[in-house]
Amino acid sequence: MNRPGTPWLFALAYLVILEVMLAAAVLFWPDLAANLPAARRLAAPIPVLGQFVDRVSETGVRGYLIGQHFFKGCNTLGTAAAVLFAAPAIAGEAHRGTLELLLARPYSRARLLLERWAGGALAVTVPVFLSTLTIPLLCTRVNEVQPYGPLLWCALHQSLFLLAIHALAFLCSVLGSHPTKIALAILFFTTFEFSIYMIKVVTHWSVFRLCDLDTLLAVADGGRLDVRLVLPLLAWIGLCVAAALFAFRRRCP
Amino acid sequence: MSADGVIEAQGLARRFGAVEAVRSLSTRIGPGGITALLGPNGSGKSTFLRLLIGLVRPDAGTARVDGAALVGDGLAIRRRVTYLGGELHAYGELTGAAHLDWCLRGREDAARARARVLAERFELPLAKKVRAYSHGMKRQLLLSAALAPDVRVRILDEPSEGLDPTRRAEVLALLRDEAARGVTLLVSSHHLGEVERASTRQLFLRRGELLDEGAARDLAARARAALRVTWERAPDPPALARALAGVGAVETRLAGATGTFFFPGDAQGERGRAALRALLDARELGAPRELSYGELSLSELYRELYGTEGV
Repeated sequence: MNRPGTPWLFALAYLVILEVMLAAAVLFWPDLAANLPAARRLAAPIPVLGQFVDRVSETGVRGYLIGQHFFKGCNTLGTAAAVLFAAPAIAGEAHRGTLELLLARPYSRARLLLERWAGGALAVTVPVFLSTLTIPLLCTRVNEVQPYGPLLWCALHQSLFLLAIHALAFLCSVLGSHPTKIALAILFFTTFEFSIYMIKVVTHWSVFRLCDLDTLLAVADGGRLDVRLVLPLLAWIGLCVAAALFAFRRRCP
Repeated sequence: MSADGVIEAQGLARRFGAVEAVRSLSTRIGPGGITALLGPNGSGKSTFLRLLIGLVRPDAGTARVDGAALVGDGLAIRRRVTYLGGELHAYGELTGAAHLDWCLRGREDAARARARVLAERFELPLAKKVRAYSHGMKRQLLLSAALAPDVRVRILDEPSEGLDPTRRAEVLALLRDEAARGVTLLVSSHHLGEVERASTRQLFLRRGELLDEGAARDLAARARAALRVTWERAPDPPALARALAGVGAVETRLAGATGTFFFPGDAQGERGRAALRALLDARELGAPRELSYGELSLSELYRELYGTEGV
């Protein structure tokens, strides 16, 4: 924790919250499983939510955990973490006047930037994998068995989705000097996108379609990433990082 | 000739929007010595220093520092020089010791030890978080980091700004020690008194332009042309004019009890000596308390150049 700008403590807090949410969800499963018909009736007025409960009914604990951990936990908390870790990466230095200190060291700008990007990317994705690894263990508490393989494929897909959001916030951070404004703007955008996911007529406009229950179940069932989704995500991440590098090379302290 | 320790700029230029911060600036500095970069706020001093190490990309021109060319982001140069920024900001969440280590990442291991020795000489509480440091302590912390690596060129933007007189003197002594070791120091400052004491050469910037060496020589000539006389009390200007009437037109500046008189060429020439005789003979002016030839303080040169008083 010697390098300013690396959000390891925040990453630890993010992991703990993710894990608490996951544990609560796993422990709640027996109650939900016993009351799924009631849950379907409750969710019926919101069609997208109704479909969600239907999919859980069809797939059992696997669909439930993927929905709870990835679609709900990682897509909300993970998105917030991605934005909050990326927004201050460079803009935070500019805002508090330490960018000159950072740039004056005997390192190339590419290295400085990629270090920052990698630190944030690891802080966003490592907790996703670590918490995912605890799912099989937690499931034993409710007498369920879940294999690691499908869950880790889901974690990989989820991580790429979060990295795409992180890359956007990171690019904005390189271009801007106000981390709070950047974070609020992107959080507003992602909250808006998450909310329209729940509206049937516009749900297909939501970026969260790229990482929803159906998508993740397909990844888990197939035991591999969906190239049609992964390639655009990777291209977006690459484009944002390349643009950030281009802008950072020209940035004045 | 070896380029070691030499700073060379050729036609360096940088514009920020409509403002030309640095205009086609060329100079050669070093090897060795303390070169002071002087100029009022907004004259382009900090931008020039940042251009030299690649913190700001030039719109035109080239630079070489200690034999390394300014290419791309200036990494080759930053490896060979140390830099102290003019704007004082630090990572408050780090302790002083951790901050030094952070600043010196990428430098030789011995630099960390030297930085701690310097910081202890400044009596900095290295175990405390930097957010508890005063303005001057932060400056000394960053200066400790900038003086620690074993390099041949140091570029320091206002290294003594915000320090008390004792610490200023200590910093100047450190810079002189560095220069004595053969290190080339390029130092910007507003504090003309300390520059006058410490620097071996002065560069004057005005609106992004370096006054050419000819202008600097003119300044030296201007200094040689000056005769300064200080009386016990302020002389009466008409009496002064009467005393000098027989000498011909003399450019005169009167500030309190001190008059400065400028003569073409050398103040110790024929006209200068005649003027001095006339001043000494003028009983109504009284006896002079102090006389000096060829001396102009840096603050006076500053005023000559910019029309403003230096600090």
